[in-house]
Amino acid sequence: MHNYIFLISILLVTYYMVIVKRLPALVGGFRLQSLFLFFITVSFAFSEKESALYIVAGLIFLLKVILIPSFLTGITKKIKVNENLGLFLNPQLSIFIVLLLTYLSYLFTFKMMSFADKMQSVTFALTLCVTLTGLFMMIFRLKAITQIIGLMVMENGLFLLAVTMCKGMPFLVEISIFLDVFISVIILGIFVYRINTLFTHIDVNKLTNLRG
Amino acid sequence: MIEITLSILQVIIITAIAPLLSGIITKIKNNLRFRRGQSIFQPYYNFEKLFSKEEVISKHASWIFRVTPFIVLASSVAASLMVPAFVSLAKTQLAGDLLLLIFLFSLGRFFLALAALDTGSSFGGMGSSREMFISSLAEVTAILSIFAVCLNLGTTNLGAISLHSAVKLSNIIAAGSLFMVILAETSRIPIDNQETHLELTMIHEAMVLEYSGRSLALIEFASYIKQIVFFSLIGTILMPAFISTSLVHNFTVFSAYAVKLLALCVLVSFIEVHLAKMRLFRAVDFFSFSFVLALVAIILAVLGV
Repeated sequence: MHNYIFLISILLVTYYMVIVKRLPALVGGFRLQSLFLFFITVSFAFSEKESALYIVAGLIFLLKVILIPSFLTGITKKIKVNENLGLFLNPQLSIFIVLLLTYLSYLFTFKMMSFADKMQSVTFALTLCVTLTGLFMMIFRLKAITQIIGLMVMENGLFLLAVTMCKGMPFLVEISIFLDVFISVIILGIFVYRINTLFTHIDVNKLTNLRG
Repeated sequence: MIEITLSILQVIIITAIAPLLSGIITKIKNNLRFRRGQSIFQPYYNFEKLFSKEEVISKHASWIFRVTPFIVLASSVAASLMVPAFVSLAKTQLAGDLLLLIFLFSLGRFFLALAALDTGSSFGGMGSSREMFISSLAEVTAILSIFAVCLNLGTTNLGAISLHSAVKLSNIIAAGSLFMVILAETSRIPIDNQETHLELTMIHEAMVLEYSGRSLALIEFASYIKQIVFFSLIGTILMPAFISTSLVHNFTVFSAYAVKLLALCVLVSFIEVHLAKMRLFRAVDFFSFSFVLALVAIILAVLGV
């Protein structure tokens, strides 16, 4: 039951992230999603008695709940783009498309895959939906920062799949941690680039600092 | 026969305590702002005042204007017959359909909007246009969220809702969605504000601006009944236990009902104190979120969670 609650919360937060119009709310949504991911990992670690999953959960909490969102918030404050998220589609249309994606993942899970356990099929459908939503956010958002968050949402979905389906298979788990680090490197790279391009217009002093 | 007596008794109790609910919400709100506030019986005093006052009707108004308060009140009372508050009527088939409940309320709303247009005042027209805008968004969500609950039970009979026992996740989410609709339907703060009569923001108040005296009292009474009907509905969905199926001489059932209503009152007053009113066109975002919640509830009901 509590696993269901966490899963549904992740799904709801994902929908919330599709609807929101402001960058801080999007980052907050990502933080919340990662928090529920942390909860679900801890719960699986407890039920499967897998000590490695506790470490993974700790890493999720450290990286995705604390470090990356605060880093993103700091960047948003610096580049001052709070208002405009760069929406390619308006929120209403995007949420309908995402609901359609949910229906498709439901169809895929229940027609194509055959799980013995009902919990497993529900989990698979929801994680597929979260992953597809991340893909959607990457495609239909114009700003670089929202595309990064879309990528992180996708990665959260994949990670959720690994934890809930494979019960903490060491190889997948480690791969996902590596992916985490990799993504944070990408974030750093793209944001350094972004600050660089923005500060050419804002602060000449910093521009000279950055370019050496 | 005894079921009919019970249902009539239930309607009498619901309508009697309906204005008290608003009084309690106002009191809690004032206490949250560190004010003493008016007595919780203030709505009853207002009725007394309004009934003793003379009624002024514009000479341009037609029969629709005169007949509307009675239609609005009658539709609200009819809706209160249907909702399972503390007596379940599922076995007697007296309890109506969920669609009937929604359409009874929209009947009242339709006539209220007509009456607001009837007098030809500009505020009335503005109010009814806004009310139609809000209700076209709210009705869909209300139907969908109750539909999610009914999907778990396999029937649209409202009385059956009170008889299910398992607490399901889809029911809780549907209740959350319904709660957002209720905030709009009872003209609470993120959508409308009951405390102010500012021309730019009022929706429900703009429609009833032309009414006075006894008619105003009837319309206010109808909106109190609407509020308690929705609160009972959400209380039954969230906490389906504590419904008596046989005799009414059951103190715990009634006190559980009172606790449900009080909890909802506290929640509503917290929301009213802590949120600001939205712009009218931001209401679309509010409703799209509650619509999504209702759809999630339906997805979960289909998945069987």
